[in-house]
Amino acid sequence: MAEDAFEAVVATHHAEIHRYLARVTGRAGDADDLSQETFLRAFRAHRQLPPGANVRAWLFTIATNLSRNYFRGETRRRRAHLAASTDGPVTDAGWPEGEALLSEASARVDRIIAGLPHKQRLAFTMRKIHQLDYEAIGASLDCSAESARAHVFQALRKIRRGLDDLATVQTEPSP
Amino acid sequence: MNRMPPMCREIEPDLLAVATGEAAPARAEVVEAHVSRCAPCRDELRQYRAIEGLVADLRRAPLAAADPTLARAQLESRLADLKTRLVSFGVFSSPLGPILIARSEQGVSMVEYLPSETAARSRLARLAGANAVEDEAGTEGLFRDVLDYLGGRRTRFEWSLDLRWARSDFQRRVLDATSRLPYGAVTSYAHIARDIGVPTATRAVAQALRWNPVPIAIPCHRVIGSSGDLTGYAGSKVSLKQQLLALEGVPVAVGGAGRVERRAMYVRYLAEAEYCVPTCGVLATTPLSELTLFGSRERAEAIGLAPCTSCRPDLHPIPA
Repeated sequence: MAEDAFEAVVATHHAEIHRYLARVTGRAGDADDLSQETFLRAFRAHRQLPPGANVRAWLFTIATNLSRNYFRGETRRRRAHLAASTDGPVTDAGWPEGEALLSEASARVDRIIAGLPHKQRLAFTMRKIHQLDYEAIGASLDCSAESARAHVFQALRKIRRGLDDLATVQTEPSP
Repeated sequence: MNRMPPMCREIEPDLLAVATGEAAPARAEVVEAHVSRCAPCRDELRQYRAIEGLVADLRRAPLAAADPTLARAQLESRLADLKTRLVSFGVFSSPLGPILIARSEQGVSMVEYLPSETAARSRLARLAGANAVEDEAGTEGLFRDVLDYLGGRRTRFEWSLDLRWARSDFQRRVLDATSRLPYGAVTSYAHIARDIGVPTATRAVAQALRWNPVPIAIPCHRVIGSSGDLTGYAGSKVSLKQQLLALEGVPVAVGGAGRVERRAMYVRYLAEAEYCVPTCGVLATTPLSELTLFGSRERAEAIGLAPCTSCRPDLHPIPA
């Protein structure tokens, strides 16, 4: 892949990778940093990419790995913070997105997703928001396509249970 | 969920697959048949389908707080910076042993003889601010040029060089003067010192060439001691110098560190337009700092020199 071809890769995929990272990290600032890091790494490595490789899936893999490192650091920070804090657990405000645009039920699903274990959140977001296939998700998470699918289904079950205590779930998706 | 009847429990994964549109047709039929009889599972399926709808809403909803514009602009500028610092390299096994070739977007920045087939101990790590990335495919063409040279099929390198990591302006001047030495010719460190206008800096010239970042391409092997001794090459690789000079047709007497056989070489005095036999006039006693020696008449004529009109090397060549 030539240098200028990489410009095209940025133009085509940056917004989506940024959105993915914003969703999985829950913070726009972290999505800014991690999306840049994703593409800088991609730039260093793109010459080794075999011709015809699925660039989009490859970028998701890099972004996913970076976000998993991020989660590891985040967990450590949170633990340290909890240990130092006398106020008890900090409540994570979660993703402050344009929730006004969403129905209450969708916003609730969004919050449940934000609370899922990392792998499930990543698998679910890749599958359901970005519609990657299970092979690509498995490659990103370093597991089989079958396990990737199991993560997604497990996430669905948790969402289903999380919605249980909501009196009614809208049966019709909003337009 | 655990209180579900066994049939319902068993069918649950397929039910999810139906809800997400991923079920194989045969499994979908089984699920449809089941939910037509089982009200709780029918409700489950409805709930999961509803979730699919809610997730589709999420997919379509913009992330208001996540505007990628700024990140994209920062990325573009970091990429531009990275490109100027990016050095891609390959490690190849050559007839001279393992060598590393590195290039930036400006040109070839390093040729290095390595002790083994890995870049682990390369000087590459010492290029301040450089971002080294292995890229064998991107440097293979350069290696082929080296192989062509070592095979005698090439006498010069049409490479652009990136000497940003040279140690000083002095070193750049030394490298520049050395790069003009033609194939098959030798001269002395003192001559290079004289060329760059610092005739007393012979030792500094030798040091500058010891750290030549692109040996072979900048032919520091063509620079020898004033006595004709090969002295040194790339640290302690004087045997490589001998090999390269032999390849270019420079007669080298073996034994010790090797010595160029001055009496067997054609001579150019300073920047004269002619070349002579080594016994012409006072040339035999002229210091090497004023001479360039050629392994053959062809090599001297290849750079446009004419045979001297008094010693006539064309009529009376050096006896073989």
